[in-house]
Amino acid sequence: MRFVDEFRDAELGRSLAGEIMASVESERHYKIMEVCGGHTHSIYKYGIDDLLPPNVELVHGPGCPVCVIPMGRVDDGISLAREPGVIFTCFGDMLRVPGSQQTLLDAKAEGADVRIVYSPLDALRIAKQNPEREVVFFAIGFETTAPSTALTVRRAKAESVSNFSVMCSHVTIVPPLRALLESPDLRLDGFIGPGHVATIVGARPFQFLPQQYGKPVAISGFEPLDLLQSVLMVLRQLAAGRAEVENQYARVVPWEGNLRALEVMSEVFALRPHFEWRGLGFISQSALRLADEYSEWDAEQRFPVPGVRVADPKACQCGEVLKGVIKPWECKVFGTACTPERAIGTCMVSPEGACAAYYNYGRFAREREVV
Amino acid sequence: MTEHVAVDRCITCGDVAVPMHVIDVDRVRGLALCSDAQGEHASVEVALVEPVSPGEVLLVHAGTALCREAL
Repeated sequence: MRFVDEFRDAELGRSLAGEIMASVESERHYKIMEVCGGHTHSIYKYGIDDLLPPNVELVHGPGCPVCVIPMGRVDDGISLAREPGVIFTCFGDMLRVPGSQQTLLDAKAEGADVRIVYSPLDALRIAKQNPEREVVFFAIGFETTAPSTALTVRRAKAESVSNFSVMCSHVTIVPPLRALLESPDLRLDGFIGPGHVATIVGARPFQFLPQQYGKPVAISGFEPLDLLQSVLMVLRQLAAGRAEVENQYARVVPWEGNLRALEVMSEVFALRPHFEWRGLGFISQSALRLADEYSEWDAEQRFPVPGVRVADPKACQCGEVLKGVIKPWECKVFGTACTPERAIGTCMVSPEGACAAYYNYGRFAREREVV
Repeated sequence: MTEHVAVDRCITCGDVAVPMHVIDVDRVRGLALCSDAQGEHASVEVALVEPVSPGEVLLVHAGTALCREAL
C-alpha cells in the first residue's frame, strides 16, 4: 500500500540499523525519548528497540493523552455521565480508565448512557438526532485532536445546536516537555518528536529543545523506517555536537504547521491557567478550555462538576513510567495486578500507553532474554 | 466485565492518523467521503485542507483531515 510499504522495507531497515551501529560511541550510553504514545506503540510492535545497539535506550514519554488524564478528571466525566437526561460520548479508550471509584464502563453498566464515538462530529450528530437530550463530548487529546473538537464546536454554534456541549480536557505538548527537562531525576540526550502533533503546530515550536536545553530533535513518522531514520538523525547530531530540530516526517509536517487549524483553535479555545497531569502534577498553561465566546457549549459551565483532586493509587507507578524514570516492567504491579483486561494505571489502558504496548508486544522479547 | 484491549493502534486519540483516499466531496457541508486501506468508508471533515478533490490522500485523525500526504 502506498505510504506504508515503502516505510516497512526490511532491507532498508537493516541498512539503517547498520548506520545507527556505526554512529554510536561504544562507551557512551544514549537516552532518547520518544514523546508520543503512537511511537511507543510502533517501537514495540515492530521491535525497533531490538535493532538498536544496547547502549541506545529509548525512553517512553508522556504523549498518550489517555494516560495523562488524572483520576479526578475521570470522576468529573462519570459525574456528568450520571446527570439525568445526558448522553455522554467519548473515545473508546476512555471507557476503561479508572476513576477513584469506578470507570465510565462501570457507570454505563449501572445505567448511565455512555456511548463511544470516533470523532467529535459523531457526538454532534447524536445531539442533532436526540434534541430532547443533552449530549456531552469528553474531549481529550493533544493538538492533533483539538482542531477536530474546535471545528465541531464551531459547527454546533453555526447550526445552533444547543443540546451539545464539550468537557474540554485537551492538553498541549510543549509544557510537559519543559516540565520533564526541569526534572532532576531524568537525563535525556535527545528527542523523537511527535509527528502528528507537528502536522498541526509545525516543527517550529520544538526549537526550544535545542535552543534552551541543547537537545537534538527529529520530528518522526510512525513506520519502522521513519523511527530508525529519526534515531539515526538524533545520534548523528549528538556525534557532530549539533542540537537542532530536524524534520524526518517532512512528507506531512510543515515547519509552520497547519495555519487554518491553529486559527480555529485560537478562536474556540483559551489556555487554562494550570491543569493536572497524571504523574507530572499541575503544569501551567498546559491545557485548553472553551473560549468565553463558546462558553454556551462548555459542559463545565452547563453542569455541576465535582473537580476534586484524587491521588493516584499507591501501587501504581504510571507517573514514573510517564516521566521515563522506570520501564513498564519495573512497576510493581505490571502484568500481575495491572493488565489490559483490568488496569490499575492509565498507561495500561490505552494501546498507546507504554505499559499496554509493552504488555502486548515487548514482554515476549523480554521473556526470550530471560530464558 | 472484561474487555480485551485492541492490539493495534488506538485510532481514537493520541498522535495517530491514517491515510485515506478521497472518493467524493460534499462542498456544501465541508465533508468528504473517504476510504482507508481496508476499504472502510468514513465521512471526513475537510475544513483544514480545503479544497480537496477525489483521488487525493488525506491524513485523517478523529474524523478530521489534518493535511495531505505527499511523497
